[in-house]
Amino acid sequence: MVWYNIIKSWFYLITIFFIWSCNSQGDNHIMPETTYVVDSIDMADGLSGEVGAMAFLPSGKLIAAFRRGEVMTYDIEKREWSVFAQGLHLPLGIEVLSENEILVMQYAELTRIKDVDGDGQADQYLVETDDFGISGNYHEFTYGPVKDESGNHFIGLNSTSSGGVMMDELRGEKKEIGFREKGMYAAVPYRGWLMKWTVDGQLQPFASGFRSPNGLGFDLDGHLLVTDNQGDWVGTSPLFHVEEGKFYGHPASLVWEEGWNRGRPSDLPIEVLDSMRQRPAVLFPHNIIANSPTQPLCDDTGGKFGPFAGQILVGEMNQERIVRVMLEEVGGALQGACVPFLDEQGLRKGNNRLAFDEEGRLWVGQNASGWAGSSGIQCISYTGKMPFDILTMKIIEGGFELTFTKEISEDILSDLNHYLVSSYYYNYHEKYGSDQMDKKDIGIQSIEVLDKGKKVRLLLDTMEKDRIYEMQLQDVVSQDQDTLENNLICYTVNHLK
Amino acid sequence: MKSLKNIWLSIITLLITTSGSISQTVELKAVGGLQYDVVRFKVKPGGKVKLVLKNTDDMDHNLVITEIGAREKVVKAAFQLAEKGPKMEFIPDISEVLYSIGVISPGEEKTLTFTAPSKEGVYPYVCTYPGHGSFMFGAMYVTNDEMPELSEDLHVPESRRSGQMAASSHDHHTQKKFHPYETTPPYMYRIFMPDSGPASIAVRLSEDLSYCWDAVRCQLRYAWSGEFVDPSEPWSIKGDAMAKVLGEKFYIENENFPLHIGNSPSEVEYRGYRLNNDGFPEFLYTVNGYLVHELLLPMRDNNGILRKFRIPDLDRDLVVESSPQKMSKVSVSKGSKTRSGYELSAGEGKSFELSIDRLK
Repeated sequence: MVWYNIIKSWFYLITIFFIWSCNSQGDNHIMPETTYVVDSIDMADGLSGEVGAMAFLPSGKLIAAFRRGEVMTYDIEKREWSVFAQGLHLPLGIEVLSENEILVMQYAELTRIKDVDGDGQADQYLVETDDFGISGNYHEFTYGPVKDESGNHFIGLNSTSSGGVMMDELRGEKKEIGFREKGMYAAVPYRGWLMKWTVDGQLQPFASGFRSPNGLGFDLDGHLLVTDNQGDWVGTSPLFHVEEGKFYGHPASLVWEEGWNRGRPSDLPIEVLDSMRQRPAVLFPHNIIANSPTQPLCDDTGGKFGPFAGQILVGEMNQERIVRVMLEEVGGALQGACVPFLDEQGLRKGNNRLAFDEEGRLWVGQNASGWAGSSGIQCISYTGKMPFDILTMKIIEGGFELTFTKEISEDILSDLNHYLVSSYYYNYHEKYGSDQMDKKDIGIQSIEVLDKGKKVRLLLDTMEKDRIYEMQLQDVVSQDQDTLENNLICYTVNHLK
Repeated sequence: MKSLKNIWLSIITLLITTSGSISQTVELKAVGGLQYDVVRFKVKPGGKVKLVLKNTDDMDHNLVITEIGAREKVVKAAFQLAEKGPKMEFIPDISEVLYSIGVISPGEEKTLTFTAPSKEGVYPYVCTYPGHGSFMFGAMYVTNDEMPELSEDLHVPESRRSGQMAASSHDHHTQKKFHPYETTPPYMYRIFMPDSGPASIAVRLSEDLSYCWDAVRCQLRYAWSGEFVDPSEPWSIKGDAMAKVLGEKFYIENENFPLHIGNSPSEVEYRGYRLNNDGFPEFLYTVNGYLVHELLLPMRDNNGILRKFRIPDLDRDLVVESSPQKMSKVSVSKGSKTRSGYELSAGEGKSFELSIDRLK
């Protein structure tokens, strides 16, 4: 905690200096010292502060749900908290319908909650759908909802954990072959599935193979993106582009596929499972990028939050970090790179839920629930100072093309010593997690500097698919003497160009 | 020559290992909630210690014994290993690391044998797996004296100074403020409850009365008098945990669903609840397609619970089954009494009351 406090105080100093310098300079244009400012929001007295869900009301107020079942609103101007609803069970998602009506995903159901009499507090809690199994196991988290352009919603059902038990009384049919004594399992319906709640109110199985999908979102093109958590059959945490009817790797859920007659899915040979599964669009190398990724949120602020509009931000539980993801379509599928974002700028760990407000500020809600994490809410604003960072990493024939937010001298960019490239893969197997496999250094054949030093094309000695290419940029400074914010980037190569 | 040297070495090693017999065996478990089950232990200065670490959690952990006072420094150094971390099992190569057990997966066990430092003092042990170090630690006392009172021991995590696992519930007599609002009845929690289904609702009706309603079976499961529930365990740990009922049950309902409309078995579907003007929930559910409203209220002087039913569309006879009770008496306001309950006509069944009177 000591060094965390040191970082915090250092950060406050910078903020104070920034405010002071702005004030003292009057109307002179002076660039702020930092690109992003992280503010911690004072929580209401008595609130656990562990955030399960966050959204914004039409009035601009924040609405958030917490671990002990409260739904609170926060007036950003007045800095005032008010109770909207209470008594919910593990609320993990909110969709705002109007100023006085919301959908909340809680443990047992998707609930429509409304303040009917207009006194500011909800008085009606009606079931929208509870057409899925629950067994009273602590790990049966329920995620979402997120809504597509046609008005269909998607929710995610966590697999059941052998770290807990099933109650004697269940909701839904129980399948013995879905049970496992070890790891995650799916003995009640649709555990490990992504479900589609259709416009006409039907809850339908949509895609299978999820272990702990604590994060659903869409990109600007309407692709449904879902994160999962490292564990059995998940060598390192992934981000998937999820499409109907496909299987994403964790076998437990397969017992609930219509007409399933192949016995215990976890007994299927790994080669068979491997041939059935879809590859993650992006892998987050464990302990390097993220250990427990959460909600993917598309930067749809159109530049209000900085130069990364259209990219995906993903929360991370275990580190004081948000991860930035850039996707591209290669070989008919999405793949791309991930890079740390906002390291050591005062952000806490436990970053569970993300939401942009109208001004393009990013609100981050933190949680722990017994895992590594923290609690509270922080608000991140873009000061307008252009960060020096990697804007995009794209695959090209024989290598990669990096684009930066600022110009860099040709001397630096064309010097091999500034790049360290390695590649490796993660095993797909029943064992919990995977080591980095076959890690090898990759030589650089040639470097081409383009666009006045904003872009560089690197041709590598070898380019192989089904591997992660990790690139470290060392001692890279921009023409205006900024140092690179994040110098580690990992690209998941599913398809070559 | 070389082989002779090896033999000598083996003999010497054998002598050392047999003569330096283990003076103490310590068994530690990595358990859920980012903690070791044992947060401190005592060894003799210079004593030979066998430490067995078993991982019963569902994620990876390690264990590092550090120099006196060096826990935070070691945790920080481990974090700074960044991408080199996994290969080094998150154990930094610095002099403050005295002994260590590398990463062990769930279910695994590893043993470390070492000689305790000869210098007396408190040597921290800590899991340096990223994100774990600020919670998951303990203290190895190297001393011939007694350890201090646990409640005052600043070398163990604060949550463990009460002598209980962090997983254990808090003492409800010192109930802390759980919410940013006053909890005056009526109020409710959807939470895991004992002797009920996985979608239970605990309702505090009055300063003396509470009940548990099951949103899977759509029925009242039981009611009790006394305090409400202790929800602290499910709200503080990672793992299965239920709220604790703090009182004495005076009503326990039969497993059979009590309302029968028509001859076919009752099929129920939970629809939600509305809070009335006083904040009491009125549950909504269907029985064989008929929408039922059920509002539960405390009786005057907390003498029992009044269940007010409304089935506006009822167009056939209704049978209300009553559960025999030892500590309360059940009666229905309308219809004719039978051996197992009451029979109500369609007109009577549209609106009736079921009273649960506590026996004094």
